[in-house]
Amino acid sequence: MSNDTVKLTIDGQATEVPAGTSIWDAARELGIDIPVLCHSTRMRPVGVCRMCVVDTGARNLQASCVRPCEDGMEVDTRSEKVEKHRRMLLEMLLADYPEDSARDAATGDDELLNMARDYGITEVRLRDGASGRPQGVDLSSPVIAVDHQACILCDRCVRGCNELQHNDVITRSGKGYGTRIAFDLNTPMGESTCVSCGECMAVCPTGALTNRALADLKLEPLGSD
Amino acid sequence: MKLLQTMLALQEREGWLSDETLSQLAKETGEPLYRLEGLRSFYPVFQEEPGAKHVIEVCRDVVCRMHGAPAFHEELLQELRQDPDVEVREVSCLGRCEQAPVALVDHHHAASNATEVRLALDGQAQAHNVLQAVDAATDPYPTADAHYGMFKTLRDGAADAGRDTVIDELKASGLRGMGGAGFPTGMKWAFTRGAKGGPKQLVCNADESEPGTFKDRCIMETLPHLMIEGMIIGGWVVEAERGIIYLRHEYGEAAEILRRELVRARELGVLGPDAFGPGKPFDMEVFISPGGYILGEETALLEALEDKRGEPRNKPPFPTNVGLNGLPTLMNNVETFAAVPMILQNGGDWWQSQGTNDCPGLKYMAVSGDVAKPGVYCVPMGTTVTDLIARAGGVADGKQLLAFSPGGASTRFLPADKADTPLDFDAMQKAGSALGSGAFVAVAEGRDLLDLATAQARFFRNESCGKCVPCRVGSNKAVAMLEDALNGEVEDGLAELLHELDDTLAQTSICGLGQVALSPVTGVMELFPEVARRLGTKEDA
Repeated sequence: MSNDTVKLTIDGQATEVPAGTSIWDAARELGIDIPVLCHSTRMRPVGVCRMCVVDTGARNLQASCVRPCEDGMEVDTRSEKVEKHRRMLLEMLLADYPEDSARDAATGDDELLNMARDYGITEVRLRDGASGRPQGVDLSSPVIAVDHQACILCDRCVRGCNELQHNDVITRSGKGYGTRIAFDLNTPMGESTCVSCGECMAVCPTGALTNRALADLKLEPLGSD
Repeated sequence: MKLLQTMLALQEREGWLSDETLSQLAKETGEPLYRLEGLRSFYPVFQEEPGAKHVIEVCRDVVCRMHGAPAFHEELLQELRQDPDVEVREVSCLGRCEQAPVALVDHHHAASNATEVRLALDGQAQAHNVLQAVDAATDPYPTADAHYGMFKTLRDGAADAGRDTVIDELKASGLRGMGGAGFPTGMKWAFTRGAKGGPKQLVCNADESEPGTFKDRCIMETLPHLMIEGMIIGGWVVEAERGIIYLRHEYGEAAEILRRELVRARELGVLGPDAFGPGKPFDMEVFISPGGYILGEETALLEALEDKRGEPRNKPPFPTNVGLNGLPTLMNNVETFAAVPMILQNGGDWWQSQGTNDCPGLKYMAVSGDVAKPGVYCVPMGTTVTDLIARAGGVADGKQLLAFSPGGASTRFLPADKADTPLDFDAMQKAGSALGSGAFVAVAEGRDLLDLATAQARFFRNESCGKCVPCRVGSNKAVAMLEDALNGEVEDGLAELLHELDDTLAQTSICGLGQVALSPVTGVMELFPEVARRLGTKEDA
C-alpha cells in the first residue's frame, strides 16, 4: 500500500506522488503555490476556507488541501473559473472584516488582506457586516488581543492550541453565521485556562489574534496582590 | 455517542447546561472544557440559560409560512407575553407539515392554533394523531405474525451466496436512496460489503428535517417493522454487529414506537445474541439527535455519533469505506430500508414493474402546501405531478396551480405547465428541478414565489453549520439582500450578484446544504419572469 503511487498532471505538469498525497502538497512539490488561508504545512488540513479550490473536472471544485490525488487526474489550479470563485470568497470574508487589522498595521502579514491585494479586490458588493465590530473584542489577556470581528474561522488557532500544543483551550462556539472562537466554556481569554503560549497568535492569518504591546504591562512578583 | 447522550440526559434533568454542570462533567469524564462548549453551543437541544417552565416552538418554514405561521407566532407572543412561565420561539420545520401551521408545546405536543396551545399548556393536549399513508403498498405481510419472515428465510436458508443475491435483487429493482440523493441502493450495499476493514457499521438516517418532509415519520409510526427488517437484512448482508437509528428529537412518538418494535424484534429472535445464527449477534438502538437539519447530511451525522460538532466531512472518502469511527458504514434512509423486505419477497423485477412511465418502484410522497388533503401518499414512481395533486384532493380552495416544489427545500419551484412531469429522479432533473426526498409542496395562484424561495434560503441560512466560508457567509449575505428586495429595496446588480453567489456556493461549499442553499432563489428568477422583473433582471434573463 505504502509503495503505491498515482500519476496526474497539475497545470499541465506531469507528476507522480505517493497515494494519499493532497493536491495542494503535490502542487507545492512542483513549485505551484495554491492560495489558502486555513491550511498550514504544520497542521492537519481541514478544508474550511475553500480558497484552495481547484478544478479536477468534477461536478464541483475540490479543496486541494484535503483532496487526495488520483490516477489520471488533470488539475487546473488557476483557471478563470477557479479564480472567479476565489474572488467571491475573498469578497465574502472582506464584507465582515474590520477596516483596521492589528496584524496588518503592526507586521504587515495579514494573509487575508495581502491575498485580497494580490487579487486586486477593491470593491466589496456584499453588505457590510463589520461596522461597529458586532462580534466584539476581547482584551482580557495581558499578552494576546482578540478581535473576533477579524476572525475568519480558519481553525488554525483551534488546531494550534489543541493539536500542536495540547493546551486544550480553544473551540468553535455557536453555529452558522454566529459561530466564533471561544476559550473553555466561552469565558474571556484572560480568565480561561490559556497559558499564553502564543501558538494561536503565531498561526493566526488575520488580525484576530495578535500580540499586545508589553510596554504598559505591570509585572509584579508572585504572591503579591 | 456516550458523551452526547450524557449531555442530553443532563439537559433533560436540569432543563439547561450550566457552566457548573459542564465543569463537573469535565472533571468526571476528563473531557476538556472547550470540547463541551463546542457541543453545547452547536446543538439546539442544549440550552445555555435556565429558560421558562414551558416552551412553545413555532415552525417558521415554508409550508407553515403559507398557512399563516407568522401571524400564529405573533398571536402566541401577544397572548403569552405576560406569562413568565412560557417562552415562545421560532424553530425550523418540525416535520408535521400536514397540520400546518404547527407549534410544539414542551417539545412533545403538536398544536395548530392558540386554543390547542392553551390546552396543551394546561395538560390537556390532544392525543398524537398517527398519520397513515394513503395507498401504502409496501408491506409484504398479511398479518403481524408473519413479520420478519423475509429475513428469517434468508438467515435460515443460509448459503453465504444469499448475501450477494440480496444485492443482486436490489440492483435489479432499481431502488435508489430515498433521503434525497438518489444513490443506487444495491451499489451502496455492494461497496460497503466489499470495503476493507471491520466490523462494518450500520446506520439508519431517520433525521428527515427538510421543510415539507414528513414521510419518514409516517413510515416509522405505521410500518416500523419494515424499516427495522430492512436494517437487519442490511446488517446481515454487510456482516455488521450493530445498527443505529439516528432519529430527530422532535419525533418523540416515533421513538417510542421504534423502541417497542425493537423489543418485539428481540423477542422474535431477529435481534439479539443469536440474531444472525447461533452465537452471531446483531442488535440496534435508537439515538436521539441533539438537533439541527445539518445532521441529516450523512457525514455530519457520523460526526455527531462520534460526539463531535455535527459538521460535514470533506469527501472523499465516503462512509461506505470510511464511516463511523473510521469503519465502513452502510447508511440508508428510513424509506429505503423499509422497501427492502417487499423487494426481496417479490423480486427486483416485480418492484421495477410497480412504477409507471418507465420509472421503477413505489414512492412515498409527503404532499403539503396548497392541496385540499395534505398527507403522505404512496404512489407508483413516475406518477405525474397532476395525478399526485389530484390524489391529494386537488389544489386547495379550487384555485389554479401556480407552481410546485417536487422534493424539498432544495428542489427548485417549477411552473404549473410542468405538471405533466413524472415523479422520478431523472425526469425531475430534466425538467430543471429534483425529486429530492419527495417533499412535494403545491403553490396556488396568488402566492408570492419570491417570498417562498427566500423562506427556503432562510432555512438553509438558519441551519448552516458554519464550517465553510461560502455557506456560512454567502447564505447570510444573500438572505439579507433578498429581505431588502422583498421590502422594495433592490440595489443595482442584485440579480447578477445573487447568481454569482449561488454559483460560488454550489461550486465551493463542502456539503449539499451549502451547495443548494440559493438554488430555489435563482430557480424562481430563471423560471418566473415576474420574479426576475422585481429583482431588476430583464424579462428574458
